[in-house]
Amino acid sequence: MRHIFLPLILLLLVVMEGVALDILPSGLIDSDLMITPHWVLMFLVLVAIFYDRRNSYHSIIYAMIFGLLIDIAYTGILGVYMFTYGVVIYIIHELRNMLHSNIYSVLLFGIISIIISDLIINLIYYVVGIMDAAWMDYAMYRLLPSILANSIFLLILYPLLAKQLEKWKNSGIK
Amino acid sequence: MSMFRKKRLFTILIGIIILVALIGFSLKDRANLSTGEQFVSDVIGMAQNVISIPIKYVTNIFSNVDDIRNTYDENQVLREKLAEYKGLIYEVQEIKEENEELRSLVDKADSLRAYNPIHATVTARSPERWIEQVTINKGELAGVKENMAVITADGMVGKIQSASQLTSTVQLLTGFDEFNRISATISRDEGNDIFGLIEEYDKETDSLLFKIIEESDKELKEGELVVSSGMGGIFPAGLPIGTVKEVIPDQYGLTRTALVEPAANMYEINHVVVVERLIDGEEGEEE
Repeated sequence: MRHIFLPLILLLLVVMEGVALDILPSGLIDSDLMITPHWVLMFLVLVAIFYDRRNSYHSIIYAMIFGLLIDIAYTGILGVYMFTYGVVIYIIHELRNMLHSNIYSVLLFGIISIIISDLIINLIYYVVGIMDAAWMDYAMYRLLPSILANSIFLLILYPLLAKQLEKWKNSGIK
Repeated sequence: MSMFRKKRLFTILIGIIILVALIGFSLKDRANLSTGEQFVSDVIGMAQNVISIPIKYVTNIFSNVDDIRNTYDENQVLREKLAEYKGLIYEVQEIKEENEELRSLVDKADSLRAYNPIHATVTARSPERWIEQVTINKGELAGVKENMAVITADGMVGKIQSASQLTSTVQLLTGFDEFNRISATISRDEGNDIFGLIEEYDKETDSLLFKIIEESDKELKEGELVVSSGMGGIFPAGLPIGTVKEVIPDQYGLTRTALVEPAANMYEINHVVVVERLIDGEEGEEE
């Protein structure tokens, strides 16, 4: 049963990202700020920290599959989110043992993952020629607001799912 | 350990190669989406259909509350406008009838203005903000094809970028680049129309660049309406695009460029009409 829940939640998040910008007040979207939802990534950070074992790589495989789905559904440029999410979740997977897993370390890992992934995504788009903003503007108008908004999302997600993920992980031992 | 390191390096290298190959594949001019992509976007599109309904409902309640506060002022303005329109409606009706009569006289039934509307609802907007695209809930089964114009009640919002069976993605005017030109015109009395091309969307000034081909002696004024001319062979004529905000000379001083503010709001799009032109592009060019 637990094998179905993770993909279902991830698919729901992919779909929800499409209407995420409708939830924000239109004044915020009309302004220069470019808040980008990375909800799938936030959930994958939780999966990497609480669900995966040292030698299991579910989170990375999910990161690549659902990254590809985001590419197909929302950007049309394949591979960008797939590669980025895969790499970032791999880094988190390696780093997670450095800190005891509680809400502060999760938040820290979440922020690290947003910074790395958003930078890689924008670097790729910059090389391809889709993004043409100055990097300073990018940091002020897109990176910082995105970090804030996604951290809030992670803080909402944590109490709902952290315990549950650990339960699913341990139910597999038997 | 070194064996493990090598393996890791190898994986990352393969990953980068796949990434470059995929990006190259998706950036080249593709006529249609591959079957896999169509399937994925259809499945996600259906889920979005379901989810967007309650969320739109909730967000609508908030915006309704906002609207109610302004209702009284708006009502006053609208009453005045309504009085003006009464005369206009009569005039339009007369002109339409006359137009039909004249058309039947010269045996010309089709016009560049004629189009077939396909109504659709916006179900999602791309969370990646560099890419200005929305998803609508009508696809090839409903007759939507690539490159069709997409309008709202206010004016043009974009064109169909790709269509799968049940859903399609719309590229918004704000995401237009130099590869998506629209042949446009400013309507004037006595054949003094100004023709030009909408070249791209300029992010710094938040406006479309309207490059004027045919100079007119008359000065362009602020607030003049730019509409599509139908000469590009894809969009029908007469779709409102935006209003002139400012006119600037280009760097050599030979032509002038008008900054055009889009007529439709790109951020509050709910219901759109996909416009299918009745005359094919090839026929249109012959005329």
